[in-house]
Amino acid sequence: MPLPASTTGATGTVHRRDLGNRALGVMVGVAAAVLAAWALALPALPSPLREPGAPLLQSMAIAGSLLLLVSVAFVAVKRTGRGGSPVTWFAAHVTCATLGTVLVVIHASGRLGRPPALLLVGLLALVVLGVWARLRLPARIASTFGTKRRAFAPGSAVVRARLAAVLAEKQALLAELDPDASEATFSVTPRHWLRRPRLARAYARLAATEARLMGQRASVGPAQAWWRALHIGVAALVVLGLLVHVATVTFFAGWVADGRAIHWWHLTAW
Amino acid sequence: MSADPSHAAPAGRLALLIDLERCIGCKSCEVACKQEHGLGPGEYRNRVVWLADPERPGLDFLPVACQHCARPACLRACPVNPKAITKDAETGVVRVDEDRCTGCGECVVACPYGAMGYDSRDHHAVKCDLCAERRAAGRDTACASVCPGHAIQLGRRDELLTTALAQGREVRDHDAFLLGPATLYLDRVHRPERRSWPLDRGTAPVLVDDPSRRGALGESPTAYPYRAPRAAREAERVEPGGCNICFNCCSTQFHFHGDRLVRITGNPDDPVLKGKVCPKSQLTVQLYASEHRLTRPLMRIGPRGEGRFEPVSWETALDAIAERLRAVRERHGPETLGIFSGTRTGLLTNRGYIRLFSQLWGTPNVQSTEPFCSSGKNLAYTLTQGTSVSGNSYTESDIGSAALYVYVGDNQAETRPVYFGMVNDWRIRNGARMVVVDPRHTVTASKADRWLPIRTGTDLALALAMIHHILTRGLEDRAFCARWVLGWEDWRDFVAARGYTPDWAAPITGLAAADIRWLAEQIATADGCVIFGSRGLNQHTNSLQTNRAFMFLAAITGNWGRPGGAYFNMSASVPIGADAPAERRVKPTRPMVRQSPTGWLRAMIDGRPYPMKALIACNNPLAQWPDQDAAREALSALDLLVHIDLFPNETSAYADFVLPAATGIEKGEIGRANDDRRIVWIDRMVEPPGEARPDGWIWIELGKRLGFDDVLEERFKDSALFWDERLIGDPQVRGITQRRLHSVPYRWVRFPVESEDAPERDTLYLEGTTAIGQPEGKRFPTASGKLEFFTEALEARFAKLGLSALPEFYGEREHLVDLPWLELLDADDTPGVPSPFYAGVASSRGRIVQPREEAPGARLRAQGYDTELVTGRAPAPQFHGWTHYAWQAQEMWPDLFVQIHPEKAAALGIEDGERVRIETAHGAIEARAWIYAGIRPTAVFVPIGWGERQPFHPWRSVNFLTDASQRDPTADQTNLKSLLCRVVRLER
Repeated sequence: MPLPASTTGATGTVHRRDLGNRALGVMVGVAAAVLAAWALALPALPSPLREPGAPLLQSMAIAGSLLLLVSVAFVAVKRTGRGGSPVTWFAAHVTCATLGTVLVVIHASGRLGRPPALLLVGLLALVVLGVWARLRLPARIASTFGTKRRAFAPGSAVVRARLAAVLAEKQALLAELDPDASEATFSVTPRHWLRRPRLARAYARLAATEARLMGQRASVGPAQAWWRALHIGVAALVVLGLLVHVATVTFFAGWVADGRAIHWWHLTAW
Repeated sequence: MSADPSHAAPAGRLALLIDLERCIGCKSCEVACKQEHGLGPGEYRNRVVWLADPERPGLDFLPVACQHCARPACLRACPVNPKAITKDAETGVVRVDEDRCTGCGECVVACPYGAMGYDSRDHHAVKCDLCAERRAAGRDTACASVCPGHAIQLGRRDELLTTALAQGREVRDHDAFLLGPATLYLDRVHRPERRSWPLDRGTAPVLVDDPSRRGALGESPTAYPYRAPRAAREAERVEPGGCNICFNCCSTQFHFHGDRLVRITGNPDDPVLKGKVCPKSQLTVQLYASEHRLTRPLMRIGPRGEGRFEPVSWETALDAIAERLRAVRERHGPETLGIFSGTRTGLLTNRGYIRLFSQLWGTPNVQSTEPFCSSGKNLAYTLTQGTSVSGNSYTESDIGSAALYVYVGDNQAETRPVYFGMVNDWRIRNGARMVVVDPRHTVTASKADRWLPIRTGTDLALALAMIHHILTRGLEDRAFCARWVLGWEDWRDFVAARGYTPDWAAPITGLAAADIRWLAEQIATADGCVIFGSRGLNQHTNSLQTNRAFMFLAAITGNWGRPGGAYFNMSASVPIGADAPAERRVKPTRPMVRQSPTGWLRAMIDGRPYPMKALIACNNPLAQWPDQDAAREALSALDLLVHIDLFPNETSAYADFVLPAATGIEKGEIGRANDDRRIVWIDRMVEPPGEARPDGWIWIELGKRLGFDDVLEERFKDSALFWDERLIGDPQVRGITQRRLHSVPYRWVRFPVESEDAPERDTLYLEGTTAIGQPEGKRFPTASGKLEFFTEALEARFAKLGLSALPEFYGEREHLVDLPWLELLDADDTPGVPSPFYAGVASSRGRIVQPREEAPGARLRAQGYDTELVTGRAPAPQFHGWTHYAWQAQEMWPDLFVQIHPEKAAALGIEDGERVRIETAHGAIEARAWIYAGIRPTAVFVPIGWGERQPFHPWRSVNFLTDASQRDPTADQTNLKSLLCRVVRLER
């Protein structure tokens, strides 16, 4: 009797438009060259191009921030299924982040002695981590294949018992969180976080416990295990810092100016 | 949900069943998978992990692919919504939607089986989907279709499980994390002797699939058809043919997209091999597409060895070669041209075009790789049985019916994986036993009931001791001996008189006397025993006598001329050959310098016994010939060196002209000589790359310039026509015409067949039959019609070389114990004496030297050479130098290695994977250490095949360690497997 073919999944015809290593290298190289040229030229530039609050540089900052928000939007698109191909959005994520970083760095005008400079450090760290994850890490990810053997043995009875307990808890919780879902293929989505945040959190914690019992992150090197968490964490801090920075220069312009002239557009000068 | 999540799986759930008792670690499934899915370097959907016990001899193989879990951890870890990983409700198959995958790698982290692959170039996960496209077309998975070990099956999980349990097999529990894996692993079959469990506590050698070495593969190897879209790789037509690389001679199918070769698979229409095929056959697709191929004739413009050339036209090259050959002939005579061919060249070229050319030219100095590989066993077969054709075949009723398989110096699982897969399958199904005698715990040994770790080069002592025990206990088949074995009483009396008992053999072989007795009794009492021998017996100076001794052992136990009983030393010589008309042959006035090309070195360097001034090398002597320093000196001294090959290599660098050759489906030829007597025809299907030409074309064009075109006719450039008209004159192959070969969809015929309609025979020399071409009643094609072990005529032939036909024991010159050894009395620069075994060949006389007279081994040991060096074939994906140009073989086994026992490694402070130096009295090389408990603690093993000009991972050839002077005067076989060496840790 012929075996059934799968009815779901890929068709074997791949249409993804990947951001290739060469394109990424060129983009980051151009960005670095632009910033290097700008840094060299900075002392010779006229004053309006050396003040972060000058209209041109503030405009660049606004444009850069908006680009960074596009980059952040990838996180939402990827997790909600709304907005089109995650692969295309990933390319946008990288492109906008790179371009946005360039604009924001130029906006800073080399003022590295002030608290907002931490944002620059964060942005550059994200770029470096992202580029490393795209250019260097993939070979390491690929070579993970066939390197894990713990699961091929019967394993510890204690771990199995604990996993069974976690599974039972997950199933019970899922009956409330998403009654139509199957635990076998379920993971928490933004919809669950928005509608049932307490249950979603509890479920996510159980999933994390299960992953820990399975030794998922311990089964690969620390860089491969944690780079993404680090990337997301730093990005969250940068977004938070950016919001704080925007709020202070917009509403607390006087405090920011600290007695000097306020060159930039703002709403209040508290 | 049930505690066992798999219980909740759909009834139509599909799964792979992987039989760990059958998997031989050959990685054919990996090659098939990459071909099917167009995966490049570092990309995996499956992989076979080698696992070795760190403390005890043991080797297991774990095929890893997606487990298609009921609760796939990868799927749940995927952060994309909707998921980029899906699970089919009906089949349970888990797949990646590469269009949605952003390449974050979370699934790779999450999968506890390490079974998620990753495309590091296009940044997305890749994984096994049980060959969805093939299933949609009603076909098996690519891995299962080729698996030589019959170790992989695709089916409905419940049905596979039911069948396995009904067969009494244990299904391995590998659900440590309650994920409900669909894949079924049948565990190793329990054996009382088995004390090692690499599956549970083994480690993977660092040099297998070493990711740190993948950089050398670069981008270029991923050329078409790899990484091309599926539509561009889809086969539009399929042509049957065969593999021309190794002695397994797999029937294959060549898949074409338009005119381009896109895939090579096994041939499911083959009634014997059933579509199973080893990795090498499939890897030839990478050779045909290789950017490293020679594509234009080259003429040297720099000093020899430097490798500087300029491209020239074929006319320029061939005209110049012909002119220089004529000059050599006029000044020194025709015998001063040597022709060396071999594996790459192909049998049809060797026995056809080259044979005709040499007859017309008038040189006796024509040789293949036989004196390095098999001349001892070929001569042994010929003397004993009358032909060098083994009479059994790989059919269920013949070899498949044996009760006992004994492998002596034959690692069949890695050298002929498909045949071994069949034998191992029969072993498991029929409950047969298997014993392996080898200094290494090889892959073959990993499947055996017992491994007897013999000291290298002492198999003759083992055979003699078993013979002694059997005859002493009266366990011989007296009726068979009396009727069919000539001279068996002479052997019996000689063995008894010499006292070749198991107790005598024990300290020589390093085996316990009780084990020797046990094995002898097993062989004598088994209802059908096949004793496999190979290079482990052949590549010694006692090759002829060792082979004869094992033949005697088989004969006296009745294991000859019966189904399921044989002495089976691999690759039956194929009786084909073209001959020029007698009046056109130039009779050489001087004999062949020596049977082995190794014996030509002094003729090249010193001009003695007569000069050899020109060499046409159709292979790579500067990796293959023993004593590489001398070989380089010899080739440097030539007036003319022409090199015909597929790839530039060490020999090319020394050549005056390098001619680009074609291979396999680029030229039309037959496969190698093989155990099963199958002649596999390979049609010409594609044009060679660039200006490369078939060997036959080259010899005909060169012959044309020397006035040979009346015999080496233009029309014979069509190799199929040449085959029918010139090559199949022998009665054994007369029926193997092109028409007959093309009448079957698998393109092979098993000889002997006297006519086009004669039936093939599984087992030859059966009682009551007559050998082909012999008078009625002659069961064996010898003068007496019996197996001949001792006759006065035979004794007289041996006596001409100072030796005896009776099996006096001797070992090698270099051992850790002092044994009798064989000394050549006539150096290669002397004329020697006419060989009593080969017409028109000069030979040295020999003398067996007792250690009390002289012990060269003791001298070497005093100099610090404290380890036995064993050389041999690399794992299954590699074959000599050929596969080193296939990127995937280099991905699997990148580096030259030396297997070292943990005790020795610890004593030397060597770590696994570390670079070390191996030194013999003849030279030195470097290699990476593979610390492996499955080798005698006093021995190390270094494989052949690597060369210093190979493109991906160049290493010096192991033949820098070997010695040209350790040869057997009868067959001129070189000792390549028993030398004393020392291993030196390199400074870190």
